[in-house]
Amino acid sequence: MILRIEKGSAVPISSQIFQQIAMLCASGRLKPGERLPSVRELARELAVNQNTILRVYERLVRDELLEMRHGQGTFVAAHADTTGLAAHRTRLIEELRQWASQGLALGLEAEGLHELMDEALRQLQSSATTEKTKKEVS
Amino acid sequence: MGVPAIELQAVDKSFRKNRVLRGTTFQVEAGCTFAFLGRNGAGKTAAIRMLMGLLSCDDGVIRVLGLDPQVDPIGVRSRVGYLAEDQTMYGWMRCEEILRFMAPFYATWDHQLALRYARDFEVPLQEKIKHLSKGQNVRLGLVLALAHRPELVILDDPALGLDSIMRKQFNRDLITHLQGEGRTVFYSFHLLYEVEPVADEVAILDQGRIVRQSETEALRSDVKQIVLSREAAVAVGETASVLQRREEGRELALVVDKAQVVIDHLRREGVEHRVVDLNLDEIFEAYVTGTNEAEPPEVAATQRIAGEA
Repeated sequence: MILRIEKGSAVPISSQIFQQIAMLCASGRLKPGERLPSVRELARELAVNQNTILRVYERLVRDELLEMRHGQGTFVAAHADTTGLAAHRTRLIEELRQWASQGLALGLEAEGLHELMDEALRQLQSSATTEKTKKEVS
Repeated sequence: MGVPAIELQAVDKSFRKNRVLRGTTFQVEAGCTFAFLGRNGAGKTAAIRMLMGLLSCDDGVIRVLGLDPQVDPIGVRSRVGYLAEDQTMYGWMRCEEILRFMAPFYATWDHQLALRYARDFEVPLQEKIKHLSKGQNVRLGLVLALAHRPELVILDDPALGLDSIMRKQFNRDLITHLQGEGRTVFYSFHLLYEVEPVADEVAILDQGRIVRQSETEALRSDVKQIVLSREAAVAVGETASVLQRREEGRELALVVDKAQVVIDHLRREGVEHRVVDLNLDEIFEAYVTGTNEAEPPEVAATQRIAGEA
């Protein structure tokens, strides 16, 4: 599990770790049943307070992304991928809401916002195709 | 709860007419990693020297591991690891000599650990102390402070001589060797972004007073910047403890404590506003700027903005 902590960020350390693990669960890079590093190990690895890591793990357990098995450690919960997706939905809506309110403040209307979203998707898809062609060529 | 590791109650200290501590009160629970923040000259070093019994207070109560450092400085010394801000050591000794020299002063000295720290912190053991760089000097001081496995570690700005790689290594050691073993760490630090991942709790000392003591995470969620139009600022009214205000054209940026109360209030009133998350540096700045000598921080911290907008 590779996590990255950005120091001095306006996003609190615990949220950074929480979001990254939730993302790994949702994308399936952490598979249900997989064992996570212990609180101690992860704290040392990231040079982050053990209590912070423990609180993040506990929150992920509450959100049913992880489960703690007594005496065995912390594991990715069954169905963490679908649960994770649901959790991300809420977060993405929140981010889109902020993005939309910026757009509205700039004088864009609903239609203009949709166009921007479509454009962004188009750019993503075209860069994905270029990547693919590059790979095929090489 | 057992005996707190550190306790200051209404401590006053003046150097002639200069009052460095004014009714300073705070408590550090055992097992906690506690960051003591403040600008240069805020009184941090004076407070730390009092904890070690190197300085007496004019008024108030100081307890370290339940002991009065004025009455039992040796008792405090044997159980506390201390790194002074400007630690001076015998310049003619070699590093390796001072390690052996210090060992018999402590019943719990662990020489293997001392040598391991010396290696980790890249202290040149064969070098004479007077030839060390400032950074090496601090690191040697750290080795001396930690090698007797103290239950409480008091460090006056240990980051001073460490580069970013060593700071990370130091943070790791702090987490595994000190936090992991349930020991208490009390340290002053000037790099706030290094404090955040490590400290359970922080206290901000400004002009001799603790203006805020809080769990690190709670501080982040309590203090936010709210941006709104100057006309709308009236709506904030009495709900806010404003720490810092900045005007920029038609807009007003307020850094407020207990931000959720203000945000809920603005939502209810239907006032348009933006909430900005702040990092620890910005929060610190909001607390220590804008308060001035004549004004006690209690007043400054709850400055009302009603009618000003």
